[in-house]
Amino acid sequence: MRQFVVQIVCFILVMCAAAAQPVLAAVGCDLNDADRDVPRLFPDSTGYKTVYLSIANRGGAPLLRKIENRLGVTYLSLYAPIDVPYTLYEVYRDKRKIGYIHGVNQKGQFGGIQVFMSQDLAGRIKTFYLQKITGSSASKFREAKFARRFEGVTLRDFDSFDPVRGKGTGRISEIVNPSPELETDFYGILRGLKKNLVLMEEFVFAPERGKP
Amino acid sequence: MAGNEVSLQARELTRVYQRGNEKILALDGVSLTIRRGEFVSFMGSSGSGKTTLVNLLGCLDNPTSGELDLAGRSIFGKGEILSEKRLTLIRRELFGYVFQNFYLIPTLTVRENVALPLAFYRKPGADAEVERLLKMLGMEHRMNHLPVQISGGEMQRVAIARALVNSPKILLADEPTGNLDSKRSCEIGEVLQELNRNAGITVIMVTHNPGLARLANRLIEMRDGRAYEN
Amino acid sequence: MITPFQIAYKNLLRKKARTLLTLVGIMLSTWVLVSLFGFNRGYEAALNRDIDNMGYQLMVMAKGCPYEAATLMLQGGKGLRYMEPSVVGDIAREPEVAQVTPILMQAFFDPNKGESGGIAGFYGVDPASYPAMKPFLRFRKGGWFHDSAAAEVVMGYEAAELEQREVGDMTMVPEKNVPLKVVGILERTGSQDDGTIFVPLKTLQRISQTDQITTIGIKVKKDADQEKLETRLYQLKDVQVVSFSQVKQTIMKLISTARVMVFSIAIIALLIAMAGVVNTVLMSVLERKQEFGILKTMGAMPLDIFRLVWSETLILCSLGGVAGIGFALLFARASDILVRRILPYAPSGGLVVIDLQLGLLTLAIIMSVGLLSGLYPAWKAGSIRPLEAIRGE
Repeated sequence: MRQFVVQIVCFILVMCAAAAQPVLAAVGCDLNDADRDVPRLFPDSTGYKTVYLSIANRGGAPLLRKIENRLGVTYLSLYAPIDVPYTLYEVYRDKRKIGYIHGVNQKGQFGGIQVFMSQDLAGRIKTFYLQKITGSSASKFREAKFARRFEGVTLRDFDSFDPVRGKGTGRISEIVNPSPELETDFYGILRGLKKNLVLMEEFVFAPERGKP
Repeated sequence: MAGNEVSLQARELTRVYQRGNEKILALDGVSLTIRRGEFVSFMGSSGSGKTTLVNLLGCLDNPTSGELDLAGRSIFGKGEILSEKRLTLIRRELFGYVFQNFYLIPTLTVRENVALPLAFYRKPGADAEVERLLKMLGMEHRMNHLPVQISGGEMQRVAIARALVNSPKILLADEPTGNLDSKRSCEIGEVLQELNRNAGITVIMVTHNPGLARLANRLIEMRDGRAYEN
Repeated sequence: MITPFQIAYKNLLRKKARTLLTLVGIMLSTWVLVSLFGFNRGYEAALNRDIDNMGYQLMVMAKGCPYEAATLMLQGGKGLRYMEPSVVGDIAREPEVAQVTPILMQAFFDPNKGESGGIAGFYGVDPASYPAMKPFLRFRKGGWFHDSAAAEVVMGYEAAELEQREVGDMTMVPEKNVPLKVVGILERTGSQDDGTIFVPLKTLQRISQTDQITTIGIKVKKDADQEKLETRLYQLKDVQVVSFSQVKQTIMKLISTARVMVFSIAIIALLIAMAGVVNTVLMSVLERKQEFGILKTMGAMPLDIFRLVWSETLILCSLGGVAGIGFALLFARASDILVRRILPYAPSGGLVVIDLQLGLLTLAIIMSVGLLSGLYPAWKAGSIRPLEAIRGE
């Protein structure tokens, strides 16, 4: 009994010593107003669930390297790549899951670009949405006609197009830059989109395919 | 075997209870002497005063009048009512008690139940008595069992061991077989007889059971608050 | 040999459900109490930290609601009106003033932020005087501006992370479409500086096409009479003075009503838990009346029985108290998040701070109140007479 009490007291002492340390988190990419944005990005939805993921808790350093290799970059994110919290919105119609919404931060010419997409359960893009982009003619990238060019795009479409070099064939290569003076941002958007698709593949679709 | 040394001497012990406006004379001037090493049995019907007498002899209560000496020391008779604290001090020096309902603590093992009195009062050498008594009463194989795991007869043996752990001069047993079947009652009766014969412990027993009463050297019958010895 | 403490502990195990429920009651009230104490300490400490991080003790700004302005300042918002830059010189000449720094807070509309556009805030500071006010600001990369009118920015850590900026990258002031170069990124401080984009004052004034300012930060001399200075500053035309000690007092007053209410609830919870303890122990005493009587025949004195029963109260309160403190520590972060949701202003950093001293203090309170509650059942047990107990069978 005495030993038990001593153990409990020691535990409390250790907890007190470690207590009140503020936890500083990396900045993630969330929808500004999910209640408003989810129905807009996924019109047939009736609800959603928010799930937080990070490379740290999904596979750690090996997963980070795998993703960077797929993207052809030496860093996934400028800041704390392994700890960046990715917000996944699981979209539902009644009780049935019908798709996902996910966003990533991508470096743009004058600021961060927040690249969001909604996908069906097969990984096809349903809607494409830039929540944030900076630049005098950046608004052209937020026009509906530019967003429509990405409907139906899958990760496979990036097999024949490298957004890092900006060269390739297929659907992606046919998308015209609406703002030629912001070429950096145009390819940044494509790289952000590919990053988004690769992350969704690693976080969601590959594990789901691996399930019995 | 009874000795010559007087263990207990009662003179004109009287006990009157007040119940509302009514006064009940439970004990009417009882005098008796019990010597060291005697086994005395008190019998009588309900309301005969046997329990009242034994409670007074065992210092569980104060008499209304009368005197009581224990081991040569005057306990009652100076006209004062002894406080519970004083009575406890006397009891723990001289008496061990066994009751009809065993009163073992259900969450303590057999060993712990026997050692229980030592948590509050310990005579020199009492620590060693725990195991010795359990062995003597045939309970050493049940030392780590809980009361719920042993029989009624075994529980009463444990209660007897507990009553003896501080080496009392007198063992007071109030209906010790009241909750036992005839076989177990016999066993307990034999245990008390052996303790009296072999260990020389003075035993005062209250019982309804004539067979058990006959195991004693002396049989005192109580009727209407008075004692009659056969 | 068995001790009275072991007897008490094993007695509590007789009615496990009852003991557990009583423990849960004590645990919950301890949890609330220690969290409240932790909040009390943490909030004030966090507020002091935020205020210290401002680097100055007084602010002067154009007239408006002082509390709203102060809260906006602490949260990095913009001032409500502008001031003439000449006010800076007037204030600098005051004898109590050690340093002044003019600040312009400006917001621009960014149509490409969010669904229907958003605000981007910029903080114009004087490179000559502002860094001296905040000597504790450290750079992760780069440094301050190269001159007082450079087309440059210094970004707080989180602002840089959000914009994915490195030193050497360009950023743009929306609405005006002016590009600026990133020359420095600050280390994380845990304060509002992390989300701030600093621009040279003259640069921001040029972009905003104004020569005015929104705020003046004032550092007071060490032994100067701050109140006297404040009184004189109040005489200045069209400005108001915000003292951070006043801000702190006001904010503390705002939350003190809430604190008093919650403390009252905690005290009531504690009393209810203790009533539970009394009930549990008293019921246990009444159930064991005969047993206590028999213990007295074994040689237990009234004080022994009193101590036995009081030990049961001690065990209940100490285990419940320790469990409550443990849960409070485990869920301190969740409590922090909850408090931030409820309060109108919450400073940065941990709000619920529970340390060893606080834990021990709370445990001491729980045990004192508990032991007090246990006095009656213990006395009752000690008073039982063996004969009554035996007769009662």
